[in-house]
Amino acid sequence: MNVKQRIRDFISENASFVFTVPAVLWQVLFLYIPFLLVVYTSLQHCMECSFFDITFSHYYELFDRAYVYIICRSALVALGVTLSCLALAYPIAYFLALRVKDRWKNILLFLLTLPFWTNFLILIYSWVFVLDHNGLINTILLKTGIISEPLHMINNMAAIFVVMVYYYLPFMMLPLYSILEKIQHEVLEASMDLGATNWQTFRRITIPLSMSGIKTGVFLVFVPAFGEFAIPSIIGGGQQLFVGSLISHYFLVARDNQLGAAFTVISGIVLMTCALLFHWLCKVPVQVAQKEVAS
Amino acid sequence: MIRNIRFENITKRYNGELVLENLSLEIPGGTFFALLGPSGSGKTTLLRLIAGLEEADSGSIFLGDEDITHTPTYKRRVNTVFQNYALFPHMDVFDNVAYSLAIRNVPEDIIEEKVIKILKTVGLDKHINKSINNLSGGQKQRVALARAVINEPDVLLLDEPLAALDLKLREKMLIELIDLQSTLKTTFVYVTHDQFEALTVADHMAIMNDDGEIEQVGTPKEIYEFPVSTFVAAFVGTTNLFKGMLHIMDDIPKIEFPGLGMFEIVVSKEKEWMRHGNTIFMSIRPEKIEISKTPMTGFSNELQAMVQSIVYHGRSTQYNVRLKNGEVIQVFEQNEEHFPQEVIDYDDHVFLYWQKENVVLLEK
Repeated sequence: MNVKQRIRDFISENASFVFTVPAVLWQVLFLYIPFLLVVYTSLQHCMECSFFDITFSHYYELFDRAYVYIICRSALVALGVTLSCLALAYPIAYFLALRVKDRWKNILLFLLTLPFWTNFLILIYSWVFVLDHNGLINTILLKTGIISEPLHMINNMAAIFVVMVYYYLPFMMLPLYSILEKIQHEVLEASMDLGATNWQTFRRITIPLSMSGIKTGVFLVFVPAFGEFAIPSIIGGGQQLFVGSLISHYFLVARDNQLGAAFTVISGIVLMTCALLFHWLCKVPVQVAQKEVAS
Repeated sequence: MIRNIRFENITKRYNGELVLENLSLEIPGGTFFALLGPSGSGKTTLLRLIAGLEEADSGSIFLGDEDITHTPTYKRRVNTVFQNYALFPHMDVFDNVAYSLAIRNVPEDIIEEKVIKILKTVGLDKHINKSINNLSGGQKQRVALARAVINEPDVLLLDEPLAALDLKLREKMLIELIDLQSTLKTTFVYVTHDQFEALTVADHMAIMNDDGEIEQVGTPKEIYEFPVSTFVAAFVGTTNLFKGMLHIMDDIPKIEFPGLGMFEIVVSKEKEWMRHGNTIFMSIRPEKIEISKTPMTGFSNELQAMVQSIVYHGRSTQYNVRLKNGEVIQVFEQNEEHFPQEVIDYDDHVFLYWQKENVVLLEK
């Protein structure tokens, strides 16, 4: 048996192993090792110190009210953005998936994904032109005489929030749409046929069946929204500090890699806790819904 | 409550296309009623109108004396067994079956009692807590059935419920459905394109044609033996159709088929289209024709033919025979004997006989 034949045999016999190797390798190289490096850096005494000079001092430094406040604020904003996206995206995805006629579906879906065709920074900057003191909205309002002085609509929390919701909406909508689209129309009809009203059908059938889409959407929005730094710095004028802005500040401006790494680790832990908490919360409503049906 | 279902002048369009036009039909309460028709004949639409899943463009639907034309689905005491079951995938067997009771806030202990009882009836009491995804096709069908009957609806609608099952299971389920209907006394409306299923289960049936019109309503026997149109004769069972001219001036009324000659028939004077000289159709079922290699006596009609092909069906044998004028017709013969005295083979010259009472004359 030649070498070529042996390799071929090995691959066909261990197909599942062979084909998972690249994915695992990718994760190890670009996720686990970098993360361990970040953890190590956070424990390093200083950049030029010896390899074994390890300390927790950077973490003590971070136990300050200001940092806790920033983490809490980031988490709250991310939560608010996630919930707003869910509230906006669910009805849109629902009607698109279950009520709109097929020939309109693709056109509408295309329009919804249109923002993805543009560069992220251009998307965000264009909001500056809309919200600015001499931007689109103010110009129109001034010209029509509705207001006499430009409204203050940029460089504040509300503007950051609105733009974040705008930007993250498709990330919530697409997983919801794809899961709602898979729901068989007959299943909803069966529910009505068995005596359920529209609302009961929605609560007992549609929501439980779309739970995995809700979950995916929430993760896709909450996780990046928590670490968002481009939108607060462009729309918020850098005045509102978020977790993401602070991390980038430490690494890129203050050049304090150790403190930045420590802060990254802490935010990472908070984020993971939130994710686990949500994962656990998600299971509960499905079980409750099933219990309700049974009782 | 046993109530008739009555359609009055129902018209229904889909995307501008006419599906049902001015249709009227009465389905007797408490019976097993089959709606038989080819695919696309609008029979499912008719079913969905009863369920309230579609609304008619014009006309009315009555359940007994109650006008239910605009009653919302959830308020109708009508339940459906859907073609692809439409079970709730996120619930187990128990929760699926309990759904209609849970919606109505029935107390838990009553729900449990009823669910267990109905699952015993359909033979699923050992699978109460199984997930829907772990059931076989036949089991899913039973869950769908149990779920639809548990709340004791006035009408149970079945939309081609056995289409996805294999033949043996289908025959078994048909018998179970008949038993269930006679136990519950609920009106069953069964939609199918399979004439075997319809003939098996139904007390009464309606035949729909491709244009969404009701061709005939009656018992399976009436429909099979006395079809009112060539469509019904050909759609329900197998038949041989001949087109010919009436000769009823003589003592014995006859019909003339081009190239074959004259044949005796029985005419009823009430039918206006049975007039001398009219061109009409004659339907004769393959099993009503006797086939023999040797001449026989005692039959009112005789034809000679050549055996073209033979299809062995087990309980019967089908002979496709070619007539003098080139037409090919079918003849069934029961395989009564283990060793038949006379063996008919390909290219044999045969005599065909039938009694004039055993044919049906049709206007169109």
